[in-house]
Amino acid sequence: MAITEAREPPAQRRRRRLRLDLSTPTLLGLPLAWLAAFFLVPIGIVAAYSFNLYSLDPGTHHFTLAGWHDFLHGSVYLSLFWKSVKMSLIVSATIVVLAYPLAYFLALSGTRRKYVLLLLLIAPFLTSYLLRVLAWKVILGNNGVINSFLFWTGLRSPDHPLSQLLYSKFAVMLVLGYIWLPFVALPIFVSLESLDRRLLEAATDLGASRLQAFVKITLPLSLPGVFAAFLFVFIPTLGEFVTPSLVGGTGGYMYGNQIVDLFVAGFPDWQTGSVLALFLLGVVAVLTVVFSRFLGARTAVR
Amino acid sequence: MSEDRDLVERQIGRDHFLKLAALAGGAAVLGGPSAVAEAARAQLAAESGRLKVMDWAGYGNDGGQAMFASYVKAHPKNKPQFSYMTNESDALGKIRAGQKPDLFRPYVGWVKYFATSGLVQPWNPKLISNMKNLNPFMVKAGQYEGKQYGIPADWGFDAILYRSDKVHPRAKSWGLLFDERYKGKIAWFDDLNMLVIAGLYLGHPRPWRQSDSELKKSQDFLKKKKRLARLIWSSETNLWEAFGAGDVWIAYAWPNDWVQMKAKKLKVVYMRPKEKPVAWVGMFMLLKGSPRPKLAHAYANAWSSTKSAKWLEDNYGYGHANVKARPSSSDLLRALQLTNPRAVTEPAAHLDRDIPRRAVYARAWEQVKAS
Repeated sequence: MAITEAREPPAQRRRRRLRLDLSTPTLLGLPLAWLAAFFLVPIGIVAAYSFNLYSLDPGTHHFTLAGWHDFLHGSVYLSLFWKSVKMSLIVSATIVVLAYPLAYFLALSGTRRKYVLLLLLIAPFLTSYLLRVLAWKVILGNNGVINSFLFWTGLRSPDHPLSQLLYSKFAVMLVLGYIWLPFVALPIFVSLESLDRRLLEAATDLGASRLQAFVKITLPLSLPGVFAAFLFVFIPTLGEFVTPSLVGGTGGYMYGNQIVDLFVAGFPDWQTGSVLALFLLGVVAVLTVVFSRFLGARTAVR
Repeated sequence: MSEDRDLVERQIGRDHFLKLAALAGGAAVLGGPSAVAEAARAQLAAESGRLKVMDWAGYGNDGGQAMFASYVKAHPKNKPQFSYMTNESDALGKIRAGQKPDLFRPYVGWVKYFATSGLVQPWNPKLISNMKNLNPFMVKAGQYEGKQYGIPADWGFDAILYRSDKVHPRAKSWGLLFDERYKGKIAWFDDLNMLVIAGLYLGHPRPWRQSDSELKKSQDFLKKKKRLARLIWSSETNLWEAFGAGDVWIAYAWPNDWVQMKAKKLKVVYMRPKEKPVAWVGMFMLLKGSPRPKLAHAYANAWSSTKSAKWLEDNYGYGHANVKARPSSSDLLRALQLTNPRAVTEPAAHLDRDIPRRAVYARAWEQVKAS
C-alpha cells in the first residue's frame, strides 16, 4: 500500500484522500444520527430523571443526588443487583461450558452436515421468545412433563411433586440458559472454524497428544470467541425481566423486574427507576470496555 | 389524521347548520372573518373525532365490546379508540407524560388522588341516565367534595381463595396468606395493598394511613414472610395457571378467581377473613380539558346500562355497580353478595380508600419484593 501511494502523483493522492474524507462522514452520518437520537438522547433524558431535573410531578424541581444517594446507601437494590449478577454469571458460565463441545464438534469434526446441525441448533429462534418461555411452564409445573414422569415411575407421589422446578431461581436460570444457548454456540463455532488447521497438524507432527493440542492451541485461540459468547449472554440476562416475570415467582425476581416495577407499578417512581437503569447501563458499559480491551489484547498477541 | 378525516366526513344536520350560522354571524360582528372561521371550526371540532379511552386489557376492543356496544351504535363516527393501562400508576405516568385520553378507569382508592391532582374534572351526573341504577354507596365513593369525579362500574373483593382438600385454616383470617404450614403454596398479589392487608392482620388501627413505625412493622413482616409465597401475581391468568396446576393452594384473590377455579372442578373456598375483605370499585374518570366530554358521558352511560352490567357479570365474573343486573351464576351472586347493596362497605367489608402516602407505601412494597 505504501509503495502504491508513493508512486501516485500528489494531486491524485489528494483527490483520493478528499474522496475518503467526504465519504466517511456520509457513511457514518446516518448510523451516528440514529445512535444520537434513539440512544444518547433517551439516556440523557433518563439521566435527567435520575437527578430530578425532569419529574412526573408538576411544579418546580431541582437538581438532587438524593436518588443516587438512596440507591448507593440502601442495601435492598444493590443486594438485588448482586443476586442478578450471580444468576447471570451462573447462566453464562454454564452454557459456555455446555456450548463449547457442541461448537467444537460442529466446527472441527469434519462432518458434512455441520451447517444442517447448526441450523437445527438455532431452529428454536424461529419461534416466538414468549412461546419458548411459556412452553417451559408445561414442562416444569407441578402437573408438568417432568413431575408426571416422576409420578409414573413412582419416584415421587402426586402429593409431593418437585415444586422447585417452577416459580424459582432455578426455573429462571434454566429457561435463560435454554434461550441463550445458540447465542453462545455461534461465536464459539465461528472462532473454532476460522482456526488454522495447519497448527494442529504441526502439533501432531511434533508429538503432541490430542489433549495437549487442544489445551495448547485450540483452546487459547478460541478464547476470544468464548469471551464474546459469554458477554453476549451475560449482558442481556443481567437486565432480563420477561423470563423472571413468567417463571420466576417470588424467588426468581431480578433487577430488571425492579426497574420495570418502579416505572409502572404501585406509584410511579421514575427517579429511582432511572437511577437503577443508569447503574445497570454503567456496569454493562464498563464490562464491555474491559472485555473489548481483553479481546483486543489477545488478538494483538495472536 | 383520523380526527381530521372525521371532521371532514361529518355530516352537518339542519339544526347543526343553524347553530353554525348563528355562531358565524356573532363572530363576524365581533371579530371579523378570521374569527368566523375559528368559531365555525371550534364548533365543528367540538365533540368530534374518536373518543379516546384508556382502560384495562379486556375492556376495550379486545373482548369488552358488548359493554359499550350501545355507545358505538349511537355514535358510529366517534367510536372509542383504546389505549391500555396496566394499573393506575401506569395510567398516571402516561397522562403526566403527555397522553390525553378523554376518560380512563382508576379504582376507588385513587379517587381523591386524581380529584386533587388537577388532571380530571367532575362528571355531570344528569347526563348519565343510568346513574339512578348505580349502587349509592359506590356512587358516593366516587365523589370528592360533593362532586362526582368517578362513575362506578366494575367491582369485586380482595379476599382469600384456598383449596379445601389441601388447606385447613386455623382461623378465617388474612393470616392464611402468612401460614408457615403452607410454605411454597401461597400466592400474594403484586400491589402495595399487601401492606394494607399486613396492617389489617397486624391490627394497625388505620391500615391505609399507617405511621412510619407501623409501616415499618408491616414491611418487615412481609419481608419475613415472603419466603412462604411462591408467586406474587399481577395478572389473573397468571394466578389461574398456577392455582389450576396445583402450584399454589392459597391465594390473595378476587371473586372471579373462585368462579374460575370452581369451573376447573377444584375444591375451593372463597374465604371472607374476620379482618374483613377489601372491596374495590372501578371508577370512570373524565380528563380535564377533554374535547369530548359529552361523548365521554355517553360512553360511561352505555357502560352503566343493565345490559352491559349483566354481560360483565356473566362473562368476566366481576360485579357491576348497576344494582338491577344479576349474573346467571348463583355462585357469583353469592360470592359478591349481590343481594346486599352494602356488601362493599362496613360492616361487611372495607371499601378501598385513599392512601395519603401512596408513594411511601409503593416504595416500601417494592423493597419487599426486592428483598
